[in-house]
Amino acid sequence: MQRVAYYTGCLAALSAKELNTSTKALAPKLGLELVELESVTCCGAGDIHEAEPDYYLHLNARILAYAEETGCETLMTICNVCTLNLRQANWQLKNDEELRARVNQNLETVGVPPYSGNVDVRHLLWLIAEGDGYERLKEAAHKGLKGLRIAPFYGCQILRPSKILGFEDPDRPWSLEAIIQACGGEPIDYPAKIKCCGFPIIQAREEVALSELIQPIEQAQEAGADAMVTPCPLCHLSLDAWQLKLRKATGKDFQMPILHLSQLIGVAAGLEESELKFKRHVVSVDPVTSKLEV
Amino acid sequence: MDAPEWACLLDVLDLIKDKHDGTLAYRKSCRMMICGSCGMRMDGRAVLACKERMKPIVDAGHVPVISAMGNMPVLKDLVVDMSPFWGKIRSVKPWLDPGYDEVAEKERIVSQQQMNVIHKEALCIMCGCCVSECNSMEADPDFMGPAALAKGFRFVGDARDQADVERLNTLNEEHGIWDCTRCYFCNERCPKGVDPRDAIAKLGAESVKQGVDHDMGAKHAKWFIRSTETTGWLRETELVPKTQGIIEAIKQTGFALKLARKGKVPPPFPPHVAADVKEARALRELVGEQGRDGALGIVQGEHALGRIEFTEEAGARENAPEIQPGVEPPPAEG
Repeated sequence: MQRVAYYTGCLAALSAKELNTSTKALAPKLGLELVELESVTCCGAGDIHEAEPDYYLHLNARILAYAEETGCETLMTICNVCTLNLRQANWQLKNDEELRARVNQNLETVGVPPYSGNVDVRHLLWLIAEGDGYERLKEAAHKGLKGLRIAPFYGCQILRPSKILGFEDPDRPWSLEAIIQACGGEPIDYPAKIKCCGFPIIQAREEVALSELIQPIEQAQEAGADAMVTPCPLCHLSLDAWQLKLRKATGKDFQMPILHLSQLIGVAAGLEESELKFKRHVVSVDPVTSKLEV
Repeated sequence: MDAPEWACLLDVLDLIKDKHDGTLAYRKSCRMMICGSCGMRMDGRAVLACKERMKPIVDAGHVPVISAMGNMPVLKDLVVDMSPFWGKIRSVKPWLDPGYDEVAEKERIVSQQQMNVIHKEALCIMCGCCVSECNSMEADPDFMGPAALAKGFRFVGDARDQADVERLNTLNEEHGIWDCTRCYFCNERCPKGVDPRDAIAKLGAESVKQGVDHDMGAKHAKWFIRSTETTGWLRETELVPKTQGIIEAIKQTGFALKLARKGKVPPPFPPHVAADVKEARALRELVGEQGRDGALGIVQGEHALGRIEFTEEAGARENAPEIQPGVEPPPAEG
C-alpha cells in the first residue's frame, strides 16, 4: 500500500460528492492508502491567485505544510484546478528559498507547521497511468467495460502550463487513453479533448463559456462515444450540468453521460451504486450502465 | 527534400520556396526570434518557424503538418491577417502615460527592481502565437486576448506610468481580463516566456487592489477569498448570487432546481467548515500588512523582487520587500 495525503478539494465534498465516495472506495483496490487532511482549505481555484496572489501562496503553503506533516511524500489531488494551484505554489516555494523562509515565518506566526518543500503534488490520474499503479489498475479493473466507447476529456489545468504540470506532452496526452484501455474500454479520439470546458467563466461569461463547452461534447458525440470521462470535477460540472443549458441554447439534443475518472475505473472494478452515485448526475448514465448491466 | 542538419523550419520553407514552389507565401524577417514575423502552426501548435529545429523531427521519422496560425483569417498559405490583432494591441494604448507633459529637469531613474516587475511582459515580440490557440478568443473573436492583455500589464506595471486606474477600467470591460477562461494555451505557446495568462492574473490582482472590482469576474474571485476566511471551503451555493447579483440568481431558479434535484446545490447550512480555519483568516490579515499585494504577489514568485509604486504620492511602504542590488531578472525562455 502506498500512503498518500488526500486532498479532496471543494467540489468533491460539495456538489460532486460522488467523486469523493468513488475515489475512497477505489483507492484500496489501487493500492492507495488515503490519509485525510482535516485542517486544509480551498486552494483558491485560480480565483484567489488572480485576486490576492500573496494570500493564495500562503493558503496553498498551509495545505502543503499539513500534507508534509502526515509524513507522506505525495499529496494526491482529484481535480485539475487543485493540481495546478498546489503545484504552482509548490514550484515557487521549492525554487525560492527566500520566499519560502518568508512564507514559513508567516505560517509559524499563525500556528501552522513550516513547510520544508518535500511534498510532491500528484493527481490520481498520474499515480495509476504508469508503473506499479498501472499494473494494479489492470488487476483491479477485472469486470472490464465491454468495449464501451469512451471519449477522454483532459481539460486544461492538468496539461498546461507544462512547465508546472509536466506529466505528459500537453498536445498529445496518453494517460486517460491508457486507463480506458486497461479498463477494457475503447478510447475515442477527437480534437477538443485537450481544450477548455469553459467552467472558470461559466458564471461571469456564460455565453462565451457555452461556446467553448459545445466543442468537446459535440465532437465526442459525432465520434460515437458512449460516454466521456474527465479527471476534473469542474469539467464534470460543466460537461454534465451545463449540458442542459447547451441543449436549450442550441436546440440540439445532447445526451452525453459524463463520468469522473474514479467512476469509470470504479465501474470496471465492480464498485456499488452506493459508491458510484450515478443518480447524482444531471445527464443520465443509464445508457452506459445498461450496456454494462451493472 | 534535403536540408542541412542545423536547419530550422524557416530554413526549410526558404528551400521549398527556392527550389520547389516560388508561390509559397509566409512572413519572415530577422531569423533570430526577435521580429515575431514567422508565427505559424506545426502539427497544430503555434511556433516561430525560426526557433524550431527540424533534425529531431526528421530523426523521429515524423512528417510535420505546417499550417497558418489560428484565430486570424488566412490571407494566403501561411500568412494571416493580423489587423484584428494590431487593433487590440492599439486598444490598450501601448505607450507610456507619465502623467505630465513637460519633461522634468532631473532625469527620473527607474531601478532594475522596478523594471523586473514587467520584465516578462516586456519580452513580448507580438508574434501572435499566444492568440493562435486562445480558447476564449475562438469562442468570442472580440476577446482582447493574451497578447494585448500582457501588453496592458506591461504598462499598468510600469513604475513610470500614471494611468493605472484608467487602464484597469478599460481592461475590466466586456471582452477584457475576466473573459479569460484560463486554458493556459498562451503560456504553453509563447516562444519568449512571457506567460500571458500570468500577466492577466496580475491585472486581476491590480484591479482588486485598486478597487476596480465591479465586474462579475472580480466578484466571483472575491467570493473565494470570503469563503476561505469563513468556512475554509468554497461556499458553493452562494457563489451565484455573490457573482451575478440576486436578480440574475433568481432568473436562474429553474436551472438551480434541476441541479438541486440531483444534489448539485449543497445546502449552505450547516456549512462545511475546515478545522482551524481561523489560521487562514489570520494568514490573510498578516500578508495584507506585508506589502506584497496586487500583482507583486505573483511577481515575487517569479524571483523578481520589485515594487509597482515609486511615486511620492503612492509612497514606498515600510513593509515593502527589501530590494537586493544586482538581483538578476528571471531567465527568459527561448
